[in-house]
Amino acid sequence: MQKRWWVFLAAAFLGLAFARGDTLVIAQGVDATTLDPVNHQETPTGNVTANIFDNFYRRLPDGSYEPWLGEAKALDDLTWELSIKPGIKFHNGEELTAEVLKFNFDRLLDPKKPLKYSTYFKPIKKVEVTGKYTLKVYTEKPFPLFLTRLTYLWVVPKAYIEEKGADYFANHPVGTGPYKFVRWVKDQEIVLEANPDYWAGKPKVKRVVFRPIPEASSRVVELLTGGVDIITNLSPEAVPTVEGSGVAEVRSVPSIRNIFIILDVKGEGPLHDPKVRLALNYAVDKEAIVKHVLGGFGVPVGCPLNPYMFGYDEELCKPFPYDPEKAKKLLAEAGYPNGFTFSMSAPSGRYLNDRQVAEAVVGQLKQVGVKVDLRIKEWSSYVKQILNRKLDTDAWMIGWGNAQFDADNTLFTLLYGGTVEGGPPQTKFSYWKDPEFDKYVLEAQQTVDQEKRKELYKKALERVRQGAPWIFLHQQKDIYGVAKRVKWQPRPDELLWAFDMELVK
Amino acid sequence: MVAWGAATLAFFLLYLSGDPVDLLLPLDASPEARAELRRAYGFDDPLYVQYGRYLWKLAHGDFGVSLRSQEPALPLVLGRMPATLQLAGAGLLFALLLGIPAGVLAALKKGSFLELLVMVLALLGQSIPVYFLGLVLIMVFGLKLHWLPISGYGTLRHLILPTVTVGTFVTASIARLTRNGVLQELRSDYVRTARAKGLHERVVVYKHALRNAAIPVVTIVGLQLGALLSGAVITETIFAWPGMGRFVLLAVEQGDFPVVQASVIVFALMLSLVNLAVDLAYLWLDPRVRYA
Repeated sequence: MQKRWWVFLAAAFLGLAFARGDTLVIAQGVDATTLDPVNHQETPTGNVTANIFDNFYRRLPDGSYEPWLGEAKALDDLTWELSIKPGIKFHNGEELTAEVLKFNFDRLLDPKKPLKYSTYFKPIKKVEVTGKYTLKVYTEKPFPLFLTRLTYLWVVPKAYIEEKGADYFANHPVGTGPYKFVRWVKDQEIVLEANPDYWAGKPKVKRVVFRPIPEASSRVVELLTGGVDIITNLSPEAVPTVEGSGVAEVRSVPSIRNIFIILDVKGEGPLHDPKVRLALNYAVDKEAIVKHVLGGFGVPVGCPLNPYMFGYDEELCKPFPYDPEKAKKLLAEAGYPNGFTFSMSAPSGRYLNDRQVAEAVVGQLKQVGVKVDLRIKEWSSYVKQILNRKLDTDAWMIGWGNAQFDADNTLFTLLYGGTVEGGPPQTKFSYWKDPEFDKYVLEAQQTVDQEKRKELYKKALERVRQGAPWIFLHQQKDIYGVAKRVKWQPRPDELLWAFDMELVK
Repeated sequence: MVAWGAATLAFFLLYLSGDPVDLLLPLDASPEARAELRRAYGFDDPLYVQYGRYLWKLAHGDFGVSLRSQEPALPLVLGRMPATLQLAGAGLLFALLLGIPAGVLAALKKGSFLELLVMVLALLGQSIPVYFLGLVLIMVFGLKLHWLPISGYGTLRHLILPTVTVGTFVTASIARLTRNGVLQELRSDYVRTARAKGLHERVVVYKHALRNAAIPVVTIVGLQLGALLSGAVITETIFAWPGMGRFVLLAVEQGDFPVVQASVIVFALMLSLVNLAVDLAYLWLDPRVRYA
């Protein structure tokens, strides 16, 4: 009896020392919701499907894109020609042809069964097959974002879905990507296996397992005890622990997300004056916030964009220098030599140390005599207030991801004031009205020539720099804990693409 | 009746928090997309219409479709039930196997150091928060000693830390109740009689006193099963246990109404089954209930 116990215990300990070997284990906070690559809204789901499927254009680590499954060319303002690389096969042997790609567009454009990614392709009017590997796409109006939207076109197989149905497909996906689907045990693991016949080369990591581990500290302990290789959303507080562990390290990358404070919500009072808004920008010490509140995991920025985005301009996006004297001078010029008081909303727990960032801003503004009544809001009610334009404060802090990597989804969506006659009304996030700015961003939406668009965004950014509609803070960094045996650098789009990864001894 | 009450409560509490469309779409989704989704899920109908449709569907066994994964809500919830039942069952077993002997021991050794130890431990066990205990266990047995896996599901070894975490509170309450119950029974007349008959002390304690002391313990076990299930919510989250609790927590955060509603109903039915089991256990334990 006693002997048997010892055997059991020994086996238990041996089991603990099991090697992950050729398997790379990635822990995220939540499980995937589906494995249909174009019918979800969450990064954790996209991280899994990105390994099984390929997109038509691929995003590069600097934020730009390049042709991947094929190429697209503008024939005129309303017509695009797409050509597919020949010989690409799905994991079930089905070939990727123009017919299959048309099926993908039709599926996204079907008004009866909209998918979550359908909205990215709305301007498309019709798709026509012109050869075995070529097709034409017609749009209703000029669609300059077409190429960047092609990074959302994760290509699915036609015959397989028609035979097995969309529901089966969403649980047993078949793609053209570097990894084949093996199994999905809900809330436990998703197992993928290298596709040795991958058209872009053989993946270096043989097996990839995605595990959902909701509790942040459990993820850290799993990383430190060798249970997983990569963990996402490491908190700055856990950084020293991971760095000191000897088995894992911290790797970070500036993300596509900017954090800022939108001002002048009510369109009256001191914040209505551009001089006051400029003063606030000079009064906030961005460097100090990044260093002390974010542990260095941020990059100060002085405009709504960041270097990954099309339309970014280095000169116009330089952070406003920290200059409290200049701030006081501007306030005096605007008629507030003794400062004033305004109210501000901020979320808690949504962005990296968001509440502490807001509190730091409040403290720094106090130095120049401006008092802030800070209200921390619970996320879901905050979202409702924002969407319904029912904010009860003069300013609000928010982070903006802009997964399009293009100025349009930031400048138009967040700042367009609706002053152009016959143009769209003011967007629900904008509290600023600048007729010149509005003209530029609207024109950029109709311009397919990318050089011209860039010029227009430069002019728009000049208006933003002068009008200072926000307090510009920083670009956030994404923080990962990574086992030392993994050769990989994180990407700005948060993608965990195992084809980029390698295990070293 | 229970199902209807739970369903109604779940419906109105959720709808008080507003419709979930704002949370389901990214901030930059167009107003048309929001309106479309609202229409698709029927959130634009008056509340009574929505409630009627909801009950009508429920009566036909249709719990709706998860707003997140587009799959039927009930199978999603039921699919996660075995893991939760396993955890709750293991926690209960752990509590009974440890709590009852500890309670009896404390009662028999009244006034000794052993009793003091049991009572102090029980007090600690009852007052320590589940999430704290879970994290301490992870730190000690996972990070420092490397003895046990700290997250995941599948083997017996994966079950150990979550079981201790979820079962400790119940163990402590059972130990204290058993001690008090046995002490009281030992003072009663029939025990004196039994002893006077010359029955062996062990028979007196285990066959007579403990059986009578068991009634409050069974009651508390029934009540504690709710605590066990709610403790499972936190425990499952800490240990990445693929159960209902963690799943429901996520659904609440994400505003996935159909999933929350389905699980509230399933939880309610489960608890009423437990209450039934407790009542049946009375019958077996106490002949007076049987004859009444």
